[in-house]
Amino acid sequence: MFNLLRLHARPATSALQTARRCYATAFVPPASLTEGMTSPLPVKPKVKPDSPTFYTARAGYFDGLTALEDAITDTRRALTALQLLPLPQSVRKALPPLQPVWHTKDTLAGHLSAIVTTSKYRRYIRVLDQLNEYRQIAEIAGVVELAENLADIITSFERENKEAVLAHGKKKPVQFDEYGRSYTLGRRKESTARVWVIPVKTPEAAVSQSALQTESPGELSHFIPQPLTIPTKILPVTTTNIIVNNAPFIEYFPQLTDRERAILPLKIAGLLGAYNVFAIVRGGGTTGQSGALSLGIAKGLAAHVPEVAAILAKAKLLRRDPRMVERKKTGLAKSHKAGVHLRLPRFTLDNEGKTKAGLEYENKPNDSRE
Amino acid sequence: MFLPLPANQLKAPIFQTDQRKVLELPTFRPEALRDPTVVGKALQFPKSENDILLAYGVPKSLVIEFRLLPKPYTVVRDVTLTILDQVSVARTKSSKNNRAVLSMSISYKLPIPILTKVSAGPAGCGKSVLLLQAVEHFVAKKWIVLYIPRALTLVNSSSHYIYDPRTRTYLQPDFSYELLRRFQQINKAALEKLKTTKAFVSDTAPVRVGAPLTRLIDVGIENKSLAPVALSALFEELSQQTEHPVLLAVDDFQALYRHTTLYRDPLFHGIKPYHMSLPRLLLEYASGKKVFQRGAVLGALSTAHTIFQLPLELREALGIPYDRPSGPYVRRKPEMVEYAKGLKNIPVPAQMQIDEAASLYEVWGQSHWLRTAPNDEGFLATYTQAAGNPREFVWKGLLQSYAL
Repeated sequence: MFNLLRLHARPATSALQTARRCYATAFVPPASLTEGMTSPLPVKPKVKPDSPTFYTARAGYFDGLTALEDAITDTRRALTALQLLPLPQSVRKALPPLQPVWHTKDTLAGHLSAIVTTSKYRRYIRVLDQLNEYRQIAEIAGVVELAENLADIITSFERENKEAVLAHGKKKPVQFDEYGRSYTLGRRKESTARVWVIPVKTPEAAVSQSALQTESPGELSHFIPQPLTIPTKILPVTTTNIIVNNAPFIEYFPQLTDRERAILPLKIAGLLGAYNVFAIVRGGGTTGQSGALSLGIAKGLAAHVPEVAAILAKAKLLRRDPRMVERKKTGLAKSHKAGVHLRLPRFTLDNEGKTKAGLEYENKPNDSRE
Repeated sequence: MFLPLPANQLKAPIFQTDQRKVLELPTFRPEALRDPTVVGKALQFPKSENDILLAYGVPKSLVIEFRLLPKPYTVVRDVTLTILDQVSVARTKSSKNNRAVLSMSISYKLPIPILTKVSAGPAGCGKSVLLLQAVEHFVAKKWIVLYIPRALTLVNSSSHYIYDPRTRTYLQPDFSYELLRRFQQINKAALEKLKTTKAFVSDTAPVRVGAPLTRLIDVGIENKSLAPVALSALFEELSQQTEHPVLLAVDDFQALYRHTTLYRDPLFHGIKPYHMSLPRLLLEYASGKKVFQRGAVLGALSTAHTIFQLPLELREALGIPYDRPSGPYVRRKPEMVEYAKGLKNIPVPAQMQIDEAASLYEVWGQSHWLRTAPNDEGFLATYTQAAGNPREFVWKGLLQSYAL
């Protein structure tokens, strides 16, 4: 095609004249020609990338990293201006430990829309840790705005289930419903008790009537000093009601020992009359069920009144009794009980199948000791 | 059976202590019960020459309790005043509409009403004690009171019985004799003033019209074989007279409604309670077939005896739910349904109030029956463990428990 253009541009010359070509006009590259010529191929307009990281093939990663490093620089400058940095070693040690829960490598890669290798991930996390440290310093120092800005950045890199991750392995706190009732579980042997502990509504204290009555003053009342009558408050005594499997307590546990075992946590905590108990117990027998109920009640009380947790723990009422029925072993009648101790006669047979006494046996006698 | 050693036989030095002082409490009298603050207080039953506890006896559940305590104490509950008020209404009215039975209260509200679990009901909630309190109260009020503390002994084949062809029922001479004797001991003053309106015809000891009723009773006492007839005649006279209101109080009330008694006829069939003279008499007054012109009938159920459990007919009459099959295909005895008609139910709460329990605790504590010094924590622990049930509170909580 360009040959054609060249043919149009100047006339054909002889072979002798091709060594040195003379052009009537200056050579114009075809791409620059504008008169009556259209570009044969559509040329894509070259878009200038926003960031030079475009050419790194991990643009999202490096953009994010750069932004965070810029943030660190700015924060460091701000904190240094506030004379919070450099922080003395003793202060740094006194700071509470940070417990961030950053996104995983794959999640981060997804957010940044880039391939993130382990080393890159670690670098990213190092930067985030540094930023988190500065956020903590700003927060403790009371630089509210800076701390909030940093917190906004940091929370976007933390996992949503941060609390669940941090609480992993720790005991879940007992939840209370809208009526202030706790729900706890107690177990003993093969029994399970689902226990709801509900605070008792205390009625208002009545004032004793006798104290309120005042005698009519006599003539000489102003000479005789009258004793002050302070109305004594009659405190209403509330009682604990326990319902187990929709039956009254004494009906479900006819045995005294079972009932006393179940209410022992209330007695030791000194909370008799303060809480009502509703329980559903399943499995096992009476002792197991009463023990399970006791544990459930103890856990419920510890949730309602954390101060009594220590005394209940001391009394081993918050401990799930690990004792279970021991298994039966082979060769024994029960877990420990052996069979009858037999002394079996030992005798051998000769080649003819006869004993020393000349007795014949078809089958060899069963001697378990051989 | 436990019998405490009398104090004058305690010669050893360990017993010579001045701490052995008997608790003195106000007496259980109608005047004391007028004060509304008496609810929750412990009182002691009066000891007089006509002591009801000695004359009539007490139910078996209370015998040992009264022996353990230095004196027979009782705690006034709010239910006590309710019962006394209800029975007092019959002072001027006939017993036709004043027949009631103290029963256990099944109406405790359970959170899940669909899964209502009903069994024997709260035993030990104080029915016998309340009946005894009613008897003491109305004797002091000069009513004529016939109290049968153990109706079980009427139907459990423990006393002699003989067939009477005239009435075609089985008579119980020994029991009738004892009842007449005790009845006279308690109600002598009133009975001397009342006169017979019908002649008592007998070959050996006739009683003319206008004789005092004590004469009729003496006939029965002197001659045991005439005791059942004399008792029937006495009841007839009492039902006609209008000078004194009459209270018929029966404990173990459900024993009368069992389909058969433990007595056997010559063919070894169980004898029905309405074929025995004295149970029949009680059933007739309880059902309203015979009435006192002035008076009431008060019964108390008992859960202690498994052979004499609350039968279906009486349960239905009192409105107590049943956990066994009780639909239309379960046979009900028409006679028992008839005898249970019109009985009112006075439910006794399963739980004591806290101040009633506190008085009970004090009584047993000051009678030196507690293992530790009386204290609030021990009391509340015992109350919680017993769930307010009086029998569990005393017998399991105070006397049996080793918990500090």
